[in-house]
Amino acid sequence: MRTICLLWMMLAGGLSGASLTFEKTLLELTLAADATTATVDFPFENKTDKPVTIARVDKTCSCLAAEVQGGKLTYQPGEKGVVRAAFDLGNFTGVVDKTVVLWLDRDQRDQPSVTLTVRVHIPVLVAMDQKTLKWSLDAAPKPQRIDLRINYNKPIRVLKVTSSSELFKIELKTLQEGVHYELWVTPLEMKQPGIAVIRIETDCEIARHKLQQVFAVVRRDLPGKGVTTP
Amino acid sequence: MNTLMRMTGIVALALAGAGVTYLVRGAPDRSVPCDPATLKPDEVCLARVIEEWQGDVLWVDARSRAEWQRAAVDGSLLWNIDQQEDMQAFEAEGAMQMMDGRRVVVYCSNENCGVSRQVADRIRAMQLGNEVFVLRGGWRALEVAGTKGPPTRSGAEPR
Repeated sequence: MRTICLLWMMLAGGLSGASLTFEKTLLELTLAADATTATVDFPFENKTDKPVTIARVDKTCSCLAAEVQGGKLTYQPGEKGVVRAAFDLGNFTGVVDKTVVLWLDRDQRDQPSVTLTVRVHIPVLVAMDQKTLKWSLDAAPKPQRIDLRINYNKPIRVLKVTSSSELFKIELKTLQEGVHYELWVTPLEMKQPGIAVIRIETDCEIARHKLQQVFAVVRRDLPGKGVTTP
Repeated sequence: MNTLMRMTGIVALALAGAGVTYLVRGAPDRSVPCDPATLKPDEVCLARVIEEWQGDVLWVDARSRAEWQRAAVDGSLLWNIDQQEDMQAFEAEGAMQMMDGRRVVVYCSNENCGVSRQVADRIRAMQLGNEVFVLRGGWRALEVAGTKGPPTRSGAEPR
């Protein structure tokens, strides 16, 4: 009976939560406007008294590559390692979070032990104060504007503005060429719902900032809130 | 030998107990737990979407295109953050579909997947005014719910 108890205690001890200790689970990076990739390291240590094995590394985006440096997956007590995450920035701008999830050898399928987050700050070169202009159905078709400012060390010019709908009049005003613009939008039809997808093409040399998109919408008020912007 | 026989006896008893439990109580409950008290402010339980809102929401699938093509909520809109995808096309299609003011519910693979929250943030940033929620439990909750959940399609061509 004593042997059975001993075996049971060994088994139970082995199942207890051995884990890896990370110095940080959130790392923030501020990048240049033209950066295309970013790489961060998450150092960790096995501070338990048992070996720990990384069973699976998962990422939440195909734009992210994650690996345990050197391909080593089992760490003895006191041993250190690094999880490296490489992020392809693609067309992202602004603040973007990407996560890497680690399952250790005894984690349940839906309960990974570790979630690592890379928070990347990518400058917004073409800044607009609104993304969507809204009018209530049957309201007065008052013109509304989107303020567009260039936040870059050289001018970025607006080359073309196109709309998916002819039910809105679009007018671009240049306040300072390459620096400051206003986009004025006036709905021409207020009796029926309508939407325009407005694309703003610039001469920005960095692809991800070249094309901007805003919306103009005429629709019924949503419950509990009006949609008209004064 | 004596020890081995005792251990075998214990395992046999445990298995017998498990079998009786299965017969009396049925199969284990594999549903994804969702306690409204533990929800984050932007999260919603599947039960609320189905019972309170009658499923009248715009479902946004934040998983990969391949997963969405394999199986998804019927009528769902693909909108992920894969860099091979055209984000502006997602926005344009999403804006069209949100015109009717419906609530938007975003799901990704499971409760550990953070993509749905990122997509939800992007939808909110469009400032269309629709309420946007993240589904607790993601696709796993929908899969487990089966006929109690919204209609799903499997292997069909995307819309």
